[in-house]
Amino acid sequence: MEKKVIIELNHITKSFDDEVVVDDLNLTIYENEFITLLGPSGCGKTTTLRMIGGFVDVDQGEVVINGKIMNDLPPYARPINTVFQKYALFPHLNVYENVAFGLRNKSDDYLVDFFHLEKAEPKVLKKQIQEKIDTAVKDALRLVKLSGFENRKINQISGGQAQRVALARAIINRPKILLLDEPLAALDLKLRQNMQYELKEMQKKLGITFIFVTHDQEEAMTMSDRIVVMKDGVIQQLGTPKDIYNEPVNRYVATFIGETNIIPGVYLKKNLVHFMGTDFECTGYTFNDNEEVDVVIRPEDFDVVDIKDAKLVGKVTESIFKGVHNELTVDFSGTELFINTYESYNVGDSLGIKVDPYEIHLMRVEGHE
Amino acid sequence: MNKGFKIFAKPYIVWLALLAILPMFVMIVLAFMYSEGLSFEEAYFTFFQFQMLGEYSILTAFFNSFLYATITTVISLVLGYFVAYNVHKSKFKNKFLILTILILPMWSNLLLRIEALGNLMEPNNIITQWLNINGDLSIKGTMPAVIIGLVLTYMPFMILSVYTALEKIDYSLEEAALDLGLTPMQKFWKVIFPLSLKGVATGSILVFLPSMSGFAIPEFLGSGNILLIGNVIEAAFRNMDYNLGSLLSVILLFVILGALIIVSKVDKEGETLL
Repeated sequence: MEKKVIIELNHITKSFDDEVVVDDLNLTIYENEFITLLGPSGCGKTTTLRMIGGFVDVDQGEVVINGKIMNDLPPYARPINTVFQKYALFPHLNVYENVAFGLRNKSDDYLVDFFHLEKAEPKVLKKQIQEKIDTAVKDALRLVKLSGFENRKINQISGGQAQRVALARAIINRPKILLLDEPLAALDLKLRQNMQYELKEMQKKLGITFIFVTHDQEEAMTMSDRIVVMKDGVIQQLGTPKDIYNEPVNRYVATFIGETNIIPGVYLKKNLVHFMGTDFECTGYTFNDNEEVDVVIRPEDFDVVDIKDAKLVGKVTESIFKGVHNELTVDFSGTELFINTYESYNVGDSLGIKVDPYEIHLMRVEGHE
Repeated sequence: MNKGFKIFAKPYIVWLALLAILPMFVMIVLAFMYSEGLSFEEAYFTFFQFQMLGEYSILTAFFNSFLYATITTVISLVLGYFVAYNVHKSKFKNKFLILTILILPMWSNLLLRIEALGNLMEPNNIITQWLNINGDLSIKGTMPAVIIGLVLTYMPFMILSVYTALEKIDYSLEEAALDLGLTPMQKFWKVIFPLSLKGVATGSILVFLPSMSGFAIPEFLGSGNILLIGNVIEAAFRNMDYNLGSLLSVILLFVILGALIIVSKVDKEGETLL
């Protein structure tokens, strides 16, 4: 199936007071995809989102939406709606009026098109529009599971509910693109996890392109079709959650996406890598023979085995019980590795490990490019 | 610690009781009496003063007070809102400085300011002298003169109240309005103005009440042609008619009280009066 491009960012650059926040960024976003901009605060992800939304002017480059350059178009003229970080609900209106706000303030001509109404007397038409808006508001509230909250004031609802109202207020306008600026950051863990699934479901159901900004890698992993990892206004890696987790392109991405071990090594020859004093088989990487590389192994990818079968033997220096698994820190004659295992070990125990060739990921050493 | 604070609060409570609460009761009592000034030797209770309320001059004074206060409030609201909104929107870093400049005249004495303004409204004033123009542009003693004086004096209260309300509006609400497809004009009327209404209410009360009850401005700028209720009260006390003065003051007090009760009904959180 051919994917349709909905947004193109071409070489966009933005500085605030001489500080470059977004640096020559290129990104293509397809219709109906859930894409996440991931990075620590100050990496330019929110600025990128705000440039798409039209809240921040672009210094250089082009923002192309639906094939049209929209650099100079104000936010209200873009086919985009936003769920703001602190929801930005209108405190002088109740839940119902907040959700109806976007449609209520559109011209009648727009709404006739929007609801596919037949031409009729202005009076009749006005009444039809009112009914349609009423139905739309109720549908939107049902979608976010807030039926019955119509008359609540904004200060009478919880954070989770406010978040849903903000979502309903945005999707009722049937935007092509929905921008979400860390909308889950203020919610507690349980609620956040629920909302993650609900957002994903909603995105599939509505067929809207979701552009989501977060600093939470787990959130990004759970929901996204593709993740954009950013640092200092530059895209570090762009790919599916699986790609990014398993094949990080550099040390930054590897450490940002979950806990990991990065070990210096040498690529001896095809399918053979040397690190921690031992040769390991690896697969699928091509470097120069004897080139220095960084070896990435996720804590859960080690196989804990009997000491006689082990490739490496170390001593447990720390053991933390995490419920499902134990997080161990193990010292292998000077190199400390994080290892996750279902067995429990005490500090001081000896531990033997093996690694399957496909679990070993190699990265070019930074600065050697 | 708390006890210490309580002790320090006492002088003011005594002050309040002696100089505000007690006189108020005296005033209420005086309103129902006939007395020679404050000497109670030949005093007796009477409703005589209430007949005076029907007098043409007093009714006119009440009517004028409401009219002038209303006009002043409306003008201050329109002009003050523009000023407050523009200061709020300006990119100027030290907005406080602009506001200080606006309030600066309030730091000089009210009577002095009114006298100076009165001079500008005379046929021969400092400006005609400098520019060497002859020609009578004087408006002293007319309604516009008094209104100008009232607006100049009380508009800063409106500006400050509205400005405070505007500053409290979260900027993300404005972005949300634009995001939902509102033009900047719609955004103002649907989001900013409704959210600044509390400031408008506070400002209106702060302008309306002193405009209605004050006497110095109509006295100086009205040249005796314009009588507001404050002038009648002042004249009554000056002529030792404490009974009529008290009655009118008590009525005015109830009007003010009524206004405050209405406001507290409308604004249950009490933000307006802060």
